Amino acid sequence: MADIAENHTFAAPVDQTVDRGASGEVVLRVQHLAKAFGPTQALRDLSIELRRGEVLSIMGENASGKSTLVKILSGVHRPDSGTIELGGAPLPPLHSPRQAQAMGIATVFQEILVVPQQPVLTNIWLGSDGLLRRQVPLEQRRARGTTVLAELIDDPPLQAPAGSLPLSDRQAVCVARALVREPRILILDEATSTLDVATRDRLFRVIRRLRAAGTSILFISHRMEEVEEIADRVTIVRSGENVATLQRGEADVQRMVELMTGTKAAAQELRKVPDARGRVRDEVVVQVSGVRLRHQGAPIHAEIRAGELVGVAGLEGHGQDRFLRVLAGVPPVGGEVVCLTDGQARTLRSPADALASGIAYVPKDRRGEGIFETRSILENFQVATLDADGRFGLVRRSVTERRFDRYAELMRIVTGHRSNLITSLSGGTQQKVLIARWLATSPKVLLLNDPTRGVDVGTKNDIYGVLADAASQGVAVIMLSTEVIELIELMDRVLVFREGELHRELRRGEFSNARLVASYFGQDAE
Amino acid sequence: MTGTSTLSRLVGRPSAFCLTLLVLLVVINFIVQPSFAAPGQIAPTLGDLAPFALAGMASTPAILAGGGGIDLSVAPLMGFTNILLVTRLLGTPLGKPLAAVPILVAIGACVGLINGVMVTKLRIPPVIATLGTYFVLSGVDLGLVPNPVTAPPNWTNNVAGSIGPIPGALLIVGLPLLLWLGLRRTPFVEALLAVGDHDAAAFSAGMNIDAVRIAAYALGGAIAGVGGIALTGLVASADSQVFGDYVLVALAAVALGGTNMAGGRGGMMLSVIGAGCVFMLENLLTDLHASAYFIQVAYGGVLLVAILLGSRLFTRRAVST
Repeated sequence: MADIAENHTFAAPVDQTVDRGASGEVVLRVQHLAKAFGPTQALRDLSIELRRGEVLSIMGENASGKSTLVKILSGVHRPDSGTIELGGAPLPPLHSPRQAQAMGIATVFQEILVVPQQPVLTNIWLGSDGLLRRQVPLEQRRARGTTVLAELIDDPPLQAPAGSLPLSDRQAVCVARALVREPRILILDEATSTLDVATRDRLFRVIRRLRAAGTSILFISHRMEEVEEIADRVTIVRSGENVATLQRGEADVQRMVELMTGTKAAAQELRKVPDARGRVRDEVVVQVSGVRLRHQGAPIHAEIRAGELVGVAGLEGHGQDRFLRVLAGVPPVGGEVVCLTDGQARTLRSPADALASGIAYVPKDRRGEGIFETRSILENFQVATLDADGRFGLVRRSVTERRFDRYAELMRIVTGHRSNLITSLSGGTQQKVLIARWLATSPKVLLLNDPTRGVDVGTKNDIYGVLADAASQGVAVIMLSTEVIELIELMDRVLVFREGELHRELRRGEFSNARLVASYFGQDAE
Repeated sequence: MTGTSTLSRLVGRPSAFCLTLLVLLVVINFIVQPSFAAPGQIAPTLGDLAPFALAGMASTPAILAGGGGIDLSVAPLMGFTNILLVTRLLGTPLGKPLAAVPILVAIGACVGLINGVMVTKLRIPPVIATLGTYFVLSGVDLGLVPNPVTAPPNWTNNVAGSIGPIPGALLIVGLPLLLWLGLRRTPFVEALLAVGDHDAAAFSAGMNIDAVRIAAYALGGAIAGVGGIALTGLVASADSQVFGDYVLVALAAVALGGTNMAGGRGGMMLSVIGAGCVFMLENLLTDLHASAYFIQVAYGGVLLVAILLGSRLFTRRAVST
């Protein structure tokens, strides 16, 4: 049925020279969509149009309703009201991702949804079969799976358990799963946030090819540069409503931020951080001596000073994550990390040592390592500082509450009641609570593993502000980031990792977008 | 994956540890009691083993399906089908194998289906849902036969003994096992393992999680129905108490076999090996005239040590990061 509709439009040839985005027939029309979760109105009145053969980007802050829209289109949630038309016909209510896929809608989510113990090939074709009958013969599975995944990563290990792959490759498997279904509509919901730069560029190449072939792509990303690169049109949503749709070329960063936040005042791209002068002290707090992240790797030497903002960067899986964990007390392959806080030198042998030395670590995997999903906001905040609130072994809740309120104000944490479940907050706000948890321990060194991943611009700025404040009070802040722009705006220094070694150290003033990314790839024009 | 030697791949297999233990136990059994392997003994010994093996197999799919999946009602369901067979079917036209077996398997599958629906659609935690079924079935069992009823000689005697030259146990355990091996060639087992490993991923990929889990419980129930037949052959009576021996031992067999109790990894073949270990251990201790109390202690100890060692050996293949 779908094919007939598409062939029909081929009869009237589309002029490829005019702006494709403006001329294509509307494949998906969403009108006045609304959806509430309990008291939270996630979508109020959202309307979008996705045309044939275009990349439409949806931009909005975290609680703006993007995820809800995507989940409705992928069959995870049902809307309260509003209509959805697919190819001109009303779309029946979708009750499962399976139904959405049957209608030609395939989605790649931000979460990496691979089945870790099953082989890569199984993961690519996951869900494509019936309960007892295979829809795709095995030889075809292998051939198609190889072709599609090889477009994204080199030498795809089809028989390896998906869980043994690096994060970026696992997400590539999820992308491949959507691609082998040859959808009419491909939804990428923050799907690029876990891809390394090389894989993302390859994905963009695939997207361009699909677009030329008539596939419609709904592309959601918090990275402005990705949107600028790939999107034909950008629909801006705010508080569950669409506020504007911009054509390619109209959509510059300034304008998009303005529309997303709705205030001129917040329109400056990213908060500037005060100069390092006067802030960075002479006092070395962490001494990294001869640390090796892999057996054959060159030893890493580095000194981190009090009050310093240090970025840690590189292509996904090139050792920067490992390095941060080493600073958090996970023993390296060789060498040692000495913490010089409190006027005494202490070699880190375990995460407990690091904690005792005043090193706090905010992990990357928020759900897995960070929050306690079944506990309240306050409980999530207090776990690291419980001892401080005790008297005679009893916890005084009022002390905790006062401290939480102080941090909530400082970090602009907007919550319902603090005894609500942490999961009632948006991802960005959860992240703020996590950072507040560790800041409340008055650390000497604060390690953050990609804290702004999948977080909206407003929240990012709040986080930057807090980190800059902490630094100016003498905390050494070491942050792994996958966003080049925030490294440039925020950091005094950036340590670039490549192939498990410290590849280059760039100081403020030395780094530009191009320079940093080039050094990720080992391309350093001196 | 590259450069892994065949040996380490074998050691890394989940079945390796349990299989080694089984071989060891068989050898020790043979040394302690040489008549153990006498030609006339093999069929009855396997007949003793069959209900263990089937109880372990029946418990496996629910566990593989993950989400805290477990089926505690397998043993009383075996008791229930045993009682139905002896008191209702045998001696009637429906008592013939070709009628009785499908009926009992279907009844087992229905009970499993109910468990599955309770767990998925009604969202009752599996332990509670199947514990409820456990109590209901054991009550019904007791109501049907307050005292054991001896069965007249019938075809199930061959199941515990020999059918021609073939030990009947091989058939009654082998056929469900063949069914499982057949299912492994379909997408079902793949789906079962995927759902058990990461249900959110499976759901987003378009799998019907509930259908897979319900099917898992139904499959377990169907095999419990077969287990009831094996039990009938062994005890030659309708007995509302005898299933008690199999309740926890079935789960021990699954765990010992190397199936991941959290789901996503394992299989029925492993449970049969695990059941073999449990059975051989009991056999050995009985031969050594150990007290019943000590046998219980030994079960527990071996189980814990095995899980510990098994998981250690398995970590080399474990998923990284």
